[in-house]
Amino acid sequence: MIEIERLTKRYGDTTVVDDVSFGVEEGTITVVVGTSGAGKSTLLRMINRLVEPTSGRVLIDGQDTRSIPEDDLRHRIGYVIQGYGLFPHRTVAQNIATVPRLLGWDRKRIADRIEELLDLYQLDPAEFATKFPHELSGGQQQRVGVARALAARPELLLMDEPFGALDPVIRAKAQDDLLAIQRRLRATIVLVTHDMEEAFHLGDRIAVMDQARLIQYGPPAELLTRPAEAFVERLVGTADRPFRLLSLAKVEDALEPGLAEGEPVAASGTLYEALSRLMWCGRQDLPVADGTGSVIGRVSITGILAYGRSA
Amino acid sequence: MSRRAVMIRLTALIMLLAFISAPNLFAPVFEPLTTNNAPAIYNQGNLLFLTMAHLGTVFSAALASTLVAVLLGVLVTRPSGVEFLPLSRSLVSIGQTFPPVAVLAIAVPLVGFGEKPTLIALFLYGLLPIFENTLTGLTQVSPLTLDAAKGMGMGPTRRLYEVELPLALPVILAGIRLSVVINLGTATIGSTVAAKGLGEVIIAGLQSNNTAFILQGGLVVALLAVLIHDGLMMFERLLVRRLGLGPAAA
Ligand SMILES: Nc1ncnc2c1ncn2[C@@H]1O[C@H](COP(=O)(O)OP(=O)(O)OP(=O)(O)O)[C@@H](O)[C@H]1O
Ligand SMILES: [Mg+2]
Repeated sequence: MIEIERLTKRYGDTTVVDDVSFGVEEGTITVVVGTSGAGKSTLLRMINRLVEPTSGRVLIDGQDTRSIPEDDLRHRIGYVIQGYGLFPHRTVAQNIATVPRLLGWDRKRIADRIEELLDLYQLDPAEFATKFPHELSGGQQQRVGVARALAARPELLLMDEPFGALDPVIRAKAQDDLLAIQRRLRATIVLVTHDMEEAFHLGDRIAVMDQARLIQYGPPAELLTRPAEAFVERLVGTADRPFRLLSLAKVEDALEPGLAEGEPVAASGTLYEALSRLMWCGRQDLPVADGTGSVIGRVSITGILAYGRSA
Repeated sequence: MSRRAVMIRLTALIMLLAFISAPNLFAPVFEPLTTNNAPAIYNQGNLLFLTMAHLGTVFSAALASTLVAVLLGVLVTRPSGVEFLPLSRSLVSIGQTFPPVAVLAIAVPLVGFGEKPTLIALFLYGLLPIFENTLTGLTQVSPLTLDAAKGMGMGPTRRLYEVELPLALPVILAGIRLSVVINLGTATIGSTVAAKGLGEVIIAGLQSNNTAFILQGGLVVALLAVLIHDGLMMFERLLVRRLGLGPAAA
């Protein structure tokens, strides 16, 4: 559990982070969104003390980060930045080994960890371990950047626009990979972006910042149904709000009793996907199957539309 | 380097070695340049010995310049040393603009004749390229890379040794190469204050009006400069490749 308490940063007379507080549950992704210059990066960098807060504090599992020596703290917190900052004079393996080496892990353990992470990211160790960063594509560099941050099993992973430099296709894949890995490792992540789509796709909770202030903090659906300020409403976009909601809701949320013809949709899928399937195959309803494959009911166009309107 | 370039350098090296170890073999080449039956080949000392002494002086001075310039460059790029940057820049520039001959003139009364005043002059003259390149090398390290290093919990000393210096190394080495090559020529003036070196050959030529001597001294110095320049450059490229800083062609 990470608790951010009344964090404030001032440079001279300008306040770039103004009295921000929120908590991050273990094993969840919190996304900080906001326009450029809102203070997102500064907020993130105060968590690993790359920026010293003017006031306020950060607690990790109840421990004040100021009581931990700076470098020790940073060994416990993974950090990924836009552009990744890979060491150009070190191989992929050496890059990933950075923090474990600082922590004094033995060779064998480091080598095993490198292999494990490269496997996790579908980079063949035999091919990639000895490559240098300039020999990698943008997407591969990004993956190495995250692998490096995860190497010493940090309690917390900070990511500052980690996908900002990727093209849309690679970006979507990188986001899905991150989600898969996060679920698998049960990692706690705080991620900064100014892309609302990304925030909705990745965030268990979203923190919206504007002009140094935190104006709303909550689960994605809450931002849609109860935007705290006009700014949030503008940010999430009023027009496609129902679609965003459908992409956040599960099929089981609009489950109706009864039977239907056709290929079943998964109960764990989103309503957005279900609607898309219904439109594509031109049916009014489809059966719904649970994880084991047995049909538990049906989902219908009218049901989905009703759900969207209820928002 | 192309095959031809390698061949040319290899030939030059062999010629140079042959000349300094058995100069008399080349007497027929230099005979046309002499008058009044003057000797065609420098005969007042052993060329091999003089070459070694010359190189010894240049490399000792380069070593000292490198140590001081790199240390200074590192110090003034640390947060605590930034305020000394302008001062050290001026000092080092003065070392370069002050003519080495003038340095000799000042140094001789203080340390006497011989190798010492030459070392001082070369040391001062060679500081600037190394210092400036150290500054360039260290400041061009991507802030992103440094930020990542800091964010992963590398302390300032580790960042210096593991990130900044390795990344600046190619540029620093280029500065050392420049300094060495400049001083190979400059070192000839050392002979005016009785330092052993190839300047002796040239000065002997000037004194006895023997063009052959002047040419011999000049040629050996020039060949040394070219070959050492290329040798150091090859070494730099190798290093860049080993460090993974870019394709070998860089
Ligand atoms: N070291 C500093 N000194 C003075 N002002 C700073 C410093 N660092 C950041 N700022 C200012 O603080 C404000 C917030 O910066 P920050 O980098 O946190 O914004 P951001 O939300 O991450 O923006 P972006 O989306 O463009 O990355 C900006 O106006 C910036 O100019
Ligand atoms: Mg930012």
